[in-house]
Amino acid sequence: MIRLNNVVASYRTGRGSINAVDGVTIEIPDGCILGVAGESGCGKSTLMKVIYGDILSPMTLSSGSIEYGFADRRGAPVTSETVQQEWFRRISYVPQSSMNSLNPVIRISKQFIDFPGNDPDKRRVLDKVRAYIGKLGLPAEALDAYPHQLSGGMRQRMMIAMATFFQPELILADEPTTALDVVVQKEILMLLMELQEEMGNTIVLVSHDMGVHYQVTHRMLIMYAAKAVEYGDSDSVFEAPLHPYTRMLISSLPTIGDDRARQGIPGRPPSLWGELRGCRFADRCPLATDRCRVEEPALLEHRPGHFAACHYAGAEVPMGGAQWQ
Amino acid sequence: MSIDVKDTAMSALLAPAPVKTRTRGSWLWLVNPRLAVGLVILAVMGLGSFILPFFAPADPSIQATYMRNLPVSPAHWLGTNALGQDIFWFLVFAVRNSLTLGVLVAVGVTIIATIVGLSAGYIGGRFERIVMLFVDTFITIPLLPILIILGALIRGNTSFLTVGIIIMIFGWAWDARTVRSMALSLREREFINMARFSGANTIQILVREVFPYVMAYTLVGFINTILFAINLEATLAVIGLSKIEVPTLGSIIFWALNYNALFTGQYVWIVAPIVATVLLFLGLFLTSTGFNAAFASKRGVS
Repeated sequence: MIRLNNVVASYRTGRGSINAVDGVTIEIPDGCILGVAGESGCGKSTLMKVIYGDILSPMTLSSGSIEYGFADRRGAPVTSETVQQEWFRRISYVPQSSMNSLNPVIRISKQFIDFPGNDPDKRRVLDKVRAYIGKLGLPAEALDAYPHQLSGGMRQRMMIAMATFFQPELILADEPTTALDVVVQKEILMLLMELQEEMGNTIVLVSHDMGVHYQVTHRMLIMYAAKAVEYGDSDSVFEAPLHPYTRMLISSLPTIGDDRARQGIPGRPPSLWGELRGCRFADRCPLATDRCRVEEPALLEHRPGHFAACHYAGAEVPMGGAQWQ
Repeated sequence: MSIDVKDTAMSALLAPAPVKTRTRGSWLWLVNPRLAVGLVILAVMGLGSFILPFFAPADPSIQATYMRNLPVSPAHWLGTNALGQDIFWFLVFAVRNSLTLGVLVAVGVTIIATIVGLSAGYIGGRFERIVMLFVDTFITIPLLPILIILGALIRGNTSFLTVGIIIMIFGWAWDARTVRSMALSLREREFINMARFSGANTIQILVREVFPYVMAYTLVGFINTILFAINLEATLAVIGLSKIEVPTLGSIIFWALNYNALFTGQYVWIVAPIVATVLLFLGLFLTSTGFNAAFASKRGVS
């Protein structure tokens, strides 16, 4: 179980400090795929960096903490300060663009065995690696290639192979399929799902694509303007979303037989500069009332394991309007 | 564990595995015509100037070994000069000394420039600002006036080694700046982040990830520095500020000019070193651009 306690991550700039993740409190159960969705700038990637422990200037973890739920080699619980020791062993990262994530001037095999702390017997490691990438659907010759000799899908498989080679307990995948076409995307996602099922570890998957989330994830976290607005089991979130923002995201998915034109959500997320009052989605929300503009809704458990931050989440307000259809 | 590729489309795609694998250890892919010509010229001049001195009949730097101003003959392939030295043997020793100086200076300059440039570019921050202050200072110092003043100060007391060190001190800054700018752009590349995310420390990233990228440039820069060093030493020698008793490409020209070789009709004395210098430069230039082209083709599209 990974527990985020009121995590606030801010960027210090010349104009002052800005909270890119503002008070996120969630518990991620072991062995699940957690999907994180939200539009650009909502804090998804910053949240990933915080969980991964890559907290570098100008970013700081201004308050809150993360409990990883596993101990380091000396038996002390891993914290944000010590999680770097566990990188790629217990917690690993699949980057957004495999195109740039492999060094173009070094053969893949060398990049693979260059991970620090590997077995000094390079040939034995290489044999293991060869067997492992075979299981991931990659030909053994791909190891001897330079990155530009592989296709995008093969490169992303290779990145996944590197990230999962040590069977880490937590894998963070930051939009792992963004640069790929839909056929390859599906295979990469299936690969991730199969690996997760086999190793029983936890994957945090960031994606813009609600369709991807629907297919892959067990739990969903919806973020909006640095806040967690909805968190719950994917089935529950997709069947009966509680937050109007989530509903609008899901209603943007096409369904067979429904040929009505899809519309975007009008307006833009608020600037995180300055004082934000009330619900951050209020300006774009068809249900917003005066209460929303003044009083900030807390992330409350409306159904077992299903949280939402909306004053009108519990009440079944009819959403079928003309605003977004 | 078993992970099957379920989609037949993908397994069909993967089966042929169109991965070109070059034979490991073979360097043949590197060679292009330009590089080949350059390497041949360098090999002839390098081997010739390093092997022939063992067969020299006399130390060519000693004056009055032979009759003065002898014409070209089987005994003296390029004749003798006004100081009674054999021009051919003097030239052989000169090419050897100039090449040695150039290579030694280039080794020093490349090491300093790579270390300084890589660390400044990759580490950044205050460290970079301080280092770059020094680099920019050395770049902006007007080179030739300083060298003329230095030469005038240590004239006659300088050793060949000192000349080399002086050239090194004034030669590393440009290369350091170039390497730094490469490291600066590499720092932001995703694969450097990935190396960091996999737990590599700064030294490991510099050696394993950044250096292989910079290496191609470093080799080209190394050759260019040889050119620069030979050139600069020749310049100093021509105006009489180097160790002129030691045969170098510059010191031959200095002596030839000093004894008015052009007006006394001893064209061989002055033309031979110029031709040798041009050939050497041509060889180095072709090698450097040839390597550049070869490494560009190795990098492929990325």
